[in-house]
Amino acid sequence: MSPALIEELGRIVGPRWVRHRRAELKTYAMDGLPTRESYPGVVVIPASSSEVREVVRLLHLAGAPFVARGAGTGLSGGAVADPETVLIALTRMNRILHVDPVRRRAVVQPGVVNARLSEAVAPLGLHYVPDPSSQAACTVGGNVAENAGGPHCLKYGVTTNHIVQLEVVLPDGSTVELGSPHGEPWGPDLVGLFVGSEGMFGIVTAITVRLEPVPASVRTLLADFPTVRAASEAVSSVIATGIVPAAMEMMDRACVAAVEASIYAAGYPTDAAAVLLVELDGQPDAVEAESETVRAILCERGARSVRSASSAADRARLWQGRKKAFGAMGRIAPDLAVQDAVVPRSALPDIMDRIAEIRDRHGLSISNVFHAGDGNLHPNISFDRGDPDLVHRVHVACHEIMAVCVAAGGSITGEHGVGSDKLDYMPWIFSPETLAAMRAVRRVFDPAERANPGKVVPVHACREWRAARGAQ
Amino acid sequence: MTARPTAPDYSSLDPCVHCGFCLPACPTYLATGDESDSPRGRIVLMRALERGEIGADDAALLQHLDACLGCLGCEPVCPSGVGYGRGIQTAREQLFARRGPSPLAAAVLGVFRRDRVWRPAFTVARWLRATGLPRVLAGGGRAGFGMGMLAASAPATARGGAPGRRLARPSAAAAAPTVALFRGCVMDTLFGHVHDATRRTLEANGYRVVEVEGQVCCGALHEHAGDRAAAESLARSNVEALAGSADWIVVNSAGCGALLKAYGHLLGTEAATELAGRVRDVSELLADRGPRPGGELPLEVAYDAPCHLQHAQRVHAAPLAVLGAVPGLRLRLLPSSDKCCGSAGIYSVLRPDMARAVLDLKIQSFAQADPRPDVVATGNPGCLMQIGAGLRAAGLAIRVVHPVELLDESYRRAKIYG
Repeated sequence: MSPALIEELGRIVGPRWVRHRRAELKTYAMDGLPTRESYPGVVVIPASSSEVREVVRLLHLAGAPFVARGAGTGLSGGAVADPETVLIALTRMNRILHVDPVRRRAVVQPGVVNARLSEAVAPLGLHYVPDPSSQAACTVGGNVAENAGGPHCLKYGVTTNHIVQLEVVLPDGSTVELGSPHGEPWGPDLVGLFVGSEGMFGIVTAITVRLEPVPASVRTLLADFPTVRAASEAVSSVIATGIVPAAMEMMDRACVAAVEASIYAAGYPTDAAAVLLVELDGQPDAVEAESETVRAILCERGARSVRSASSAADRARLWQGRKKAFGAMGRIAPDLAVQDAVVPRSALPDIMDRIAEIRDRHGLSISNVFHAGDGNLHPNISFDRGDPDLVHRVHVACHEIMAVCVAAGGSITGEHGVGSDKLDYMPWIFSPETLAAMRAVRRVFDPAERANPGKVVPVHACREWRAARGAQ
Repeated sequence: MTARPTAPDYSSLDPCVHCGFCLPACPTYLATGDESDSPRGRIVLMRALERGEIGADDAALLQHLDACLGCLGCEPVCPSGVGYGRGIQTAREQLFARRGPSPLAAAVLGVFRRDRVWRPAFTVARWLRATGLPRVLAGGGRAGFGMGMLAASAPATARGGAPGRRLARPSAAAAAPTVALFRGCVMDTLFGHVHDATRRTLEANGYRVVEVEGQVCCGALHEHAGDRAAAESLARSNVEALAGSADWIVVNSAGCGALLKAYGHLLGTEAATELAGRVRDVSELLADRGPRPGGELPLEVAYDAPCHLQHAQRVHAAPLAVLGAVPGLRLRLLPSSDKCCGSAGIYSVLRPDMARAVLDLKIQSFAQADPRPDVVATGNPGCLMQIGAGLRAAGLAIRVVHPVELLDESYRRAKIYG
């Protein structure tokens, strides 16, 4: 990175908030997916919307590409940059700017940590619903970029359903307001377009979110099953009744073992093939009736036991175990490939069998922890990158799992985004024409494709690229 | 000298899968938002150091590893149980062996190595404190903050400072368990009143406190800085002095207690391991006996957990039990109560800017608390002085005391001491 640019960036944010020494860049070379490593050219840590605007304006004039980053907990390699690219970390912009308890809105800076927001509004009886498992660390800005999900999105929808307005710095340094605090869909739904755009359209500098009342009553059930298939079938049976649980999560034996060995041990039975966590919320009478129905179905489908969280603390413990499961995988092996795919719920039992078959064929260690209610799978493959043959088998297995999910009518990502990790799979589910349309939309916001370059939309697969190649 | 492996061992870092769940638990990351100042970032740096990708003389690596407070706040939140503490200790020893301490660190550590140096130094400090000048000069600037630290070490009440006052009729029968008080350096000079309160409250709860001569500084400051040889030397002296002295070794400084409990690991000798097994924080011994309730003390008290008590020693409930034995005391845990105050041994002297940035987050939560606490209770001298100085710099009229001081005052009101 040119010393002149580094100096200019320092002029905007102050020299101590520009990181350019090799050791510092190394700490930003990965996000939550340690299989994708790339040193950024320079890291800049602005403190305000106006500093972001000035930085982006400078990069526009310099023609320099940039990547926005929150807490770096993403799992698709989306928040890493190459040596030609400026990484803009938004972690210092961590203030909750305004809370309106009457209209149930909060305006936050992008670096606000997801869980902090819910904690801050808890005294008002409100919470911010989307709860990705990394919510203790991840930022709302990153959630917007990835359209993050989480266990409770089964009933309440994903991030995009909870964002009403965005202040965005476009790649040319101009600032636009998308949406309105009322949340009415005036004109084209640009908020909907921006949420989940993975940093391709600009940098969000203020976010107006919907807050929801904390449910009057919550019941959390823990069921354990002798087979993964039985648990998968139970999930479909519950949904078939018309009951929409707030969340329905599954963990298999390998996952339970890792969690139970950790400080987040939740008392999951370690001898079960799979455990299901089912949460029902709403008015007390309804919750009571629904949980009895669900309990009966779970038993009918072969649950060995079903227990209800005995207290708020017990419930929190059951959830902590689930949410920290991914982080606990270091107990199995030093490296981890977290996958993310969606399959039709009805296909779950077969897909789980297929994943087990792929695991055995390649001699791998796979633990499954996922949002069963909406068919969003997270097979976690544990490995040691010191073993090149193993790394190769992991790579092949990831492809095979993804192919199985796509063949079943699924999708290549549920909530982790495409980033760089899923780039190769995009042509599996989108035609060249569709990919070309995506690229055209990207160019509306960013004609030079300087914002998170090379991610999300595979350039080599779209129509123009093929046409150009065909002409050669 | 114990034999040490030639290659630094960073295997305790192996389970890190880079999930980032440690970031919000790290006081320096919260202060800067910079991943280079986060546990995950430092683990990346340590691994690079281990593999030789980044040299031990790299200025950026040194800056960010040195900026670690060593509070271990990241360990209890790690789902994979990464041994961050062991990793950073290995790094510190590796870096110390390579570059030695900075001149300032060398000077400070040198003072604590010999009690004929630190004792007169702290005695002078105590005289200065007695003039009342530090209280007047306390402020937000660097000198003012230093004065605030000294002022914060003073006994809260004139009575509390009465030296050596003991029970008129010790309840301790011959069969009572004996307790040897670990005196330490800062505690023995600036915090003599806390030692007195420790002795009195323990005896009121059925222990017999015995005095053991020949003790030296615990060595925690040296160990923390990576100067293992100095830490081992001090530890050996203490093991020799304290061996066989009493049923329990009681410590009222969390930082010292954490290292004393780890003497076995540090020295690798049977005597050290045996001694370490008998070390208890004063709150643990008191909580084992209830402790017995005292007289009413109508105060709003915010408990602040020293990192070396909650994370290094994993003592959580005992200090709360001590405060819970005071009728009328309204105990609260503020949102920042489990975060490091920035004191961290000699860290606040070596890196005052980061120490203040870390402290400011805590002071903010005191300022915003409603109702505002009358007293902050915390069981470590560094924390007492750092938080005390921060409160003075912020103009907040909140006292900072050791939990046993409150119990002691409560016993006095109940006339337990006769």
